[in-house]
Amino acid sequence: MTSKYLSNSALKAINRIGDLMIPRNGEFPAFSEVGGITYIDELVSYAPGADIKDLNMLLTILAFMPTFVLRWLLGKMETAMENKGPLGPIFRQLDIGLRGLIFSCYYTEKVPTTFKGKKPLDIIGFQLTRVED
Amino acid sequence: MLDYIIIGTGPSGGNIAHNLFKAGANILLLEAGKLFNKKTFPRTEADTSAMLYWGGGIEFDTDAKMGFLRTRLVGGTSIVNQCLLDRFDDIAFNDWKAESGVQWFSPENLAPYYTKVENKLDLHTFTPSDMNKNAQLFTKSCDKIGVKWGYLRKGQNDCANDRGNDCMACLGGCHRDSKQSSYAGYLRDDITEGLNLQTETEVHQITTNGDTVTVHAFQQGRQVTFQAKNIVLAGGAFGTTKMLLQSGFKKQLPALGKNFSTHPQFMSFGLFDEEINAYKGYFQTVASKDPNLRKKGYKLENVFAPPISAAMLFSRTGSYHQDIMRNYTRMTCIEVAVRDENAGEIKVNNKGRLSVDKPFTEQDRRRRDEGRELIANILTNEGAKKVYASPFAVGLHLMGGSVIGANPAKAVVDPEFRLHGHKNIFVADSSIFPNAPGINPSLTVMALAQKLSDQFTGTTYDKQIPKQLSTESY
Ligand SMILES: Cc1cc2nc3c(=O)[nH]c(=O)nc-3n(C[C@H](O)[C@H](O)[C@H](O)COP(=O)(O)OP(=O)(O)OC[C@H]3O[C@@H](n4cnc5c(N)ncnc54)[C@H](O)[C@@H]3O)c2cc1C
Repeated sequence: MTSKYLSNSALKAINRIGDLMIPRNGEFPAFSEVGGITYIDELVSYAPGADIKDLNMLLTILAFMPTFVLRWLLGKMETAMENKGPLGPIFRQLDIGLRGLIFSCYYTEKVPTTFKGKKPLDIIGFQLTRVED
Repeated sequence: MLDYIIIGTGPSGGNIAHNLFKAGANILLLEAGKLFNKKTFPRTEADTSAMLYWGGGIEFDTDAKMGFLRTRLVGGTSIVNQCLLDRFDDIAFNDWKAESGVQWFSPENLAPYYTKVENKLDLHTFTPSDMNKNAQLFTKSCDKIGVKWGYLRKGQNDCANDRGNDCMACLGGCHRDSKQSSYAGYLRDDITEGLNLQTETEVHQITTNGDTVTVHAFQQGRQVTFQAKNIVLAGGAFGTTKMLLQSGFKKQLPALGKNFSTHPQFMSFGLFDEEINAYKGYFQTVASKDPNLRKKGYKLENVFAPPISAAMLFSRTGSYHQDIMRNYTRMTCIEVAVRDENAGEIKVNNKGRLSVDKPFTEQDRRRRDEGRELIANILTNEGAKKVYASPFAVGLHLMGGSVIGANPAKAVVDPEFRLHGHKNIFVADSSIFPNAPGINPSLTVMALAQKLSDQFTGTTYDKQIPKQLSTESY
């Protein structure tokens, strides 16, 4: 897939980080298997241009990091709330930003038809009822 | 020349625009976001964050320890809020009076304005049959350990819960127009009747010249200006304060940006073997209503979060994350909302972006920890096998930054809602709150807006307005 807003490297980074955050596990499919990233432009398009530029740059850098560095980074992000050092705010922002992006593409109603498994929202049993008149 | 330009369409701007429109004033209502309606509100959690929220979902303090939520669309944050409408009590107003020197702060003096708002909106106080299992377990456990609780009052008219509707869907805007947002409650019909509204218009500066105020804005990328005899800023704590800071008022008004508070909320989840389905039906019907907790400076809310938000509340990923999410329907949830100190400051950095300092003070920490401990006790008494306390603080009630007060050295807005030293710039939104009331703010935002509207239209009250049901307010 391609994106109007994010480079191919940036998309690759999302899938790699996504799979580290949400690997295949029991009935849960891995992040990249679901393919929710297909609809990423619908989410990104509302962000201010400067934010999209920053996101693209960050993800492009992350795309070229070896997996052990990404794992180290995820570890830092997970403990960021307790981090009192000068890098604490950066890890916290990264944590919320990246998890926000990845969970938004995973726990989603919008899954491409190419994905044949059970959707993560169905696995967790989330089914909202909207009564419309 | 326009009589009034109103900037922002949340509970404050919606109320004022409606009242001035009905009074026949020549007005223009400006809103940074778009106009949605029950057919066009986003239908997924991810779309809601991206499409409706400033910052694409969440904004942070400079230390990135606290997230703030506010929206940008016609109706403001009332489109996504829970619309729980409480009057303030003596404790809240006495603290406001002490901080601001504004003498008219009292439940009695505000009563006519509260009543007028309550009479305009459809209100529903929840009953036992409205409770889902999360609420049933919470109230039973509170009874067991001696915490007083009560039913909440919500602005709504027909949520169709008896036919299986889930109110969690309306966190992205109510698809039934039942929730009494400032759009459904005030603006929707006015727009049909020709209210002068311009959307996607973000104001960045205000200049004054004698009897005229000029508003400078970007409208879909174009620079535009509007002039009026008076303007009303109703952009909320962040929006209004940012507009004033960008317009250079900080030099005259040193308190501008200060006294920001937000009722930080911390959620804890209890894990059960059986299905709870806490997200089903009305998912927020009860809360603590305990004078002891009110004195201690926190309250407990029985709530739940949709999946992406719930996933975000736990910092870990991988199998730990999946174990939690696998149990999404088997969890109950309670949050502690802290009545925090107004130690925050809203600033604008050299890139023109908001920069918010929100120190979490020793007192805030104590209140959070006490609340969490009590929650753990309640959840364990409910029968939870395990309790997860989220480390994340979320601020939903953004208050202060342009506070009201008698002294221009310490406040931004005078007791008649005028910017100190300026006869034709007015504010009556959540930015004027002197400190955190510890009570849901939006009914009081509307009551203050009603007071300013009446000041504009010269309405006085014979104290005979029929009194609608009023609630205890903690
Ligand atoms: C998830 C959630 C749940 C909540 N639940 C409750 C609840 O149950 N009960 C309760 O009392 N409160 C609740 N709140 C808080 C409540 O919604 C707010 O306190 C209230 O909406 C504040 O009203 P306001 O008019 O001051 O600002 P807002 O409602 O934020 O409205 C401000 C408007 O001004 C616009 N604006 C800002 N800057 C500009 C600009 N420069 N140019 C043009 N337009 C601009 C914004 O886009 C927005 O539409 C909740 C909040 C959230 C986020």
